[in-house]
Amino acid sequence: MFARLRFAALIALAVPGVASAADIAPPPKPIMTADAIAGIIDRHLAADWQARGIQPTAPASDAEFCRRVYLDLVGRAPKVSELRAFLDDTEPKKRETLVEKLFTLPSHASHLAAVTRAAWLPQTVTNQQFFFFGSQFEVFLRKRYAENTPADLTVRKLLITPLRVNGANGNQRFIQADPNDPESQSLIGFYQANEVKPENAGAAISRLFLGVKLECAQCHDHPFAPYTKEQFWEFAAFFAELNALPNRRPSDTAPAGPQADKNRLNIPNTDKQVIAKFFDGTSPEWNEVMNPRQELAIWLTKPQNPYFAGNLANRMWAHFFGLGILDPVDEPGENNQPSHPALMEELGRAFAAAKFDNRTLMRGIIRSRAYQLTSKLSHPTQTNPRSFARMNLKGLTPAQLFDTLVAATGYRENPQFKNAQFAFFPQANNPRSLFLNRFASTDKPTEASTTILQALMLMNGDFVDSQTASERAEILAAIFEIPGWDTKKRVETVFLTALARMPSPEELEKFASYVDRAGADDKKRLALGDVFWVLLNSPEFLFNH
Amino acid sequence: MNALDRRTLLKLGAVSASVTLSGWMGRLAQAAADAKAKPKRSCILLWMNGGPATIDMWDRKLDHENGGPFKEIATKAPGLKIGEHLPKIAEFGQNLAVLRGMSTKEGDHGRGTYLMRTGVMPSAAGIQYPSIGALVSKEIGDPTSELPNFISVAPQRFFSQDAYGPGFLGPQHASLVVGDNQFNNNVPNADDVLKVQDLAKPKSVDAVNAAARIDMLRDMQEEFAASRPGGVSRSHSAAYDRAIRLMQSESGKVFDLKEEKDAVRQKYGMNLFGQGCLLARRLVEKNVPFIEVTLGNWDTHGNNFDLVKGLCGTLDQAWSALLGDLKERGLLDTTTIVWMGEFGRTPKINQGKGRDHYANAWSAVLAGGGIKGGQAIGKTSKDGTTVEERPTSSADLMATVVKALGLDHEKTNMSNVGRPIPLADRTANPVTEVLA
Repeated sequence: MFARLRFAALIALAVPGVASAADIAPPPKPIMTADAIAGIIDRHLAADWQARGIQPTAPASDAEFCRRVYLDLVGRAPKVSELRAFLDDTEPKKRETLVEKLFTLPSHASHLAAVTRAAWLPQTVTNQQFFFFGSQFEVFLRKRYAENTPADLTVRKLLITPLRVNGANGNQRFIQADPNDPESQSLIGFYQANEVKPENAGAAISRLFLGVKLECAQCHDHPFAPYTKEQFWEFAAFFAELNALPNRRPSDTAPAGPQADKNRLNIPNTDKQVIAKFFDGTSPEWNEVMNPRQELAIWLTKPQNPYFAGNLANRMWAHFFGLGILDPVDEPGENNQPSHPALMEELGRAFAAAKFDNRTLMRGIIRSRAYQLTSKLSHPTQTNPRSFARMNLKGLTPAQLFDTLVAATGYRENPQFKNAQFAFFPQANNPRSLFLNRFASTDKPTEASTTILQALMLMNGDFVDSQTASERAEILAAIFEIPGWDTKKRVETVFLTALARMPSPEELEKFASYVDRAGADDKKRLALGDVFWVLLNSPEFLFNH
Repeated sequence: MNALDRRTLLKLGAVSASVTLSGWMGRLAQAAADAKAKPKRSCILLWMNGGPATIDMWDRKLDHENGGPFKEIATKAPGLKIGEHLPKIAEFGQNLAVLRGMSTKEGDHGRGTYLMRTGVMPSAAGIQYPSIGALVSKEIGDPTSELPNFISVAPQRFFSQDAYGPGFLGPQHASLVVGDNQFNNNVPNADDVLKVQDLAKPKSVDAVNAAARIDMLRDMQEEFAASRPGGVSRSHSAAYDRAIRLMQSESGKVFDLKEEKDAVRQKYGMNLFGQGCLLARRLVEKNVPFIEVTLGNWDTHGNNFDLVKGLCGTLDQAWSALLGDLKERGLLDTTTIVWMGEFGRTPKINQGKGRDHYANAWSAVLAGGGIKGGQAIGKTSKDGTTVEERPTSSADLMATVVKALGLDHEKTNMSNVGRPIPLADRTANPVTEVLA
């Protein structure tokens, strides 16, 4: 009963909980501001819309914005109390204030880290062999997002971490963590997930941080882009030290030193040896102090490197819009042109000018007109998702979905259950693990698909049933039991908790009369559960819009 | 009629629950008209997860140290000999075509799985290739059927999730999975494991409320899809349509293996693979075009011979029961069976009496509909390490299978990157010798 009261309090009271600006540390003041970034986005898109006769959608309501920004920044929809507080807030800058508040929540760092890990190490999502390395690496990313480490420093740290490769057998390599570096244990997950192979690490780094997918140049010259097989192996040669030799070599123990064979590779099945070289054809001035990965880190993260900044900014864009300005984000070429090339270029420059401050970029994107448009189609010119004239529909990650279910139902999750991240072996009594397993997917967010089994789980599974039709239902029971409310108020609250919005007058009428017609109280309770069930199964709940 | 009116009527008992389906029945009727002329063909993939030691089963090397200890036995087909631990399968020699020239290029579990199940290497150009099951669903499946057109029985998808997906063909061709995440073939309750999870509506909800829920949900879906059109909302509706159809129809009973006589169930073997093969037979009887059944644990890096002998026992019993049942029911001529894993294993036996991954020379087997059995095509060297006759790539195999199903392997479908992609890769050269 105490639990019920606790929920009742949460639901009924508008908690004035949104931190005031004074509670929050002042954001760093980089040269490039968030407003300037929003201005860049608005200017380019407005020009494009005008040139192509596109009419963007109306601005998103406060409720739509609130649900969207919670999902994008902290990985779940808002709870009723959070939503009410935001809707009741009369401050003109409340959207910006909310963003600052969300940055401070631990779930912000963990959500962004999970999303980044899935993008950087997709093999850890679909391949059980690599799963552990992915979670290992996610620890590093979480800390970076919590501290808002500039993106170039994050990448540099990843590239220069010392690697002590073991394993004489070419196929059974592993990397030992560096006992002197507390983050090493986490960072090596990246290289382990890339099978401790120079060609895999090189391909991953080029795809992730230059936005250039080199893989097919591994075996032949790239069919669509001007990259040769030789260039691929020259780039891979920056990671040559992963080719552990049977005997101890200088790089195993010393972080720096003579290059020896650390910067060269044999192209497999040929007699040809290549020395590490950048894509632009230049080479580092090899010296005794810097190892190849350090040289690569410096070249890669130079603010003048347009590939690096533009690619990272584009990836961040894709996080908020469901697809990039260049999309796929790592496949430039004749077949894949950016939808707004000038915007992408300028956004990259702005990100570099902002000293690669992720939050400045996020604030800028969130403040843009495009991000704050409704997803509701109102004109035929808005249908192309790449014109960003209406917010795209995005699928939820399995964790986003379950966290949103938790927020909507009030389910009190066993803290141990929360640690379940391992999608491959579901634990029968742990709903989170069952959802992660059933909803694991590699779909692009704007092409999210639903499976029959997912539909069956949401319709008939124990978890949703226990929260909609049972005495054990947590938030629903509270909504039903609050004294003094009429049916409409109860239906309204079910809408707020499930869909983070008020029902339309027609919806309110329809659902309230459905509940009222049920008859006795216990029947009404079941009917209200039916309404909750309908909302939790609706696409409006299951997607970010 | 709006949803609430329907509910009122329901309460009065004036309308049966099936009427609540009227909204999307129209769409189905249209799809039925589109699909009418398609022949009833089925394909069963017996997927050997981990990479089976085909040298010990289908291509014995009796005069070479690589051959290992197993003997060879004759089959019912003159001249076709196979490994000694498949005696029941040998009885069906006339139906088997052994492809001894498999030569593929991928010895990694994940990429090999993708290669063999899609017929192409994982794409660097961002093309999401469909798995063979989705392809058959698209080409032969009836979009109006109550049962999904692609059903995966006990798949072990951890090597490559993508190799099991519908790719650019879209979510309506995704498989329905039963017996997911099972790694122990000897589960005591295989029939429970092989049921569709969450198929029954919760006990807490009575029939009237359940119908009302679905009505109200349809309204929400339609409203949402009208203002947010596109693939995401379409896929949501498609999955719910399929799920509800399955829940409300009698077809779901096909998954209840307790309907079979005990003796029949025993014949297949009371283990996951055996019961999975029985389920496959039941699904073929219901015209499901593609069913795959997985038998795992073929990754025999150590102690190969004991393990392969044991696995062959399971395989021999289940597969022979399946062939016998299909034959008896007159379904073997319209059901093509494909037996393969992601690669074979090294002819050279390692120090732990194991065999490692080997893609350069191995065997796959075809049987049943569209296949000229009783023969082996292709030949490997005396030591089993290279293919000397009729080298067969994954694309060749894919083309052969789709042709056996009566399809044109050069037919194209539009891909997610706007390029038409043929059913089998353009390099494919179907093994016409085994086509009936």
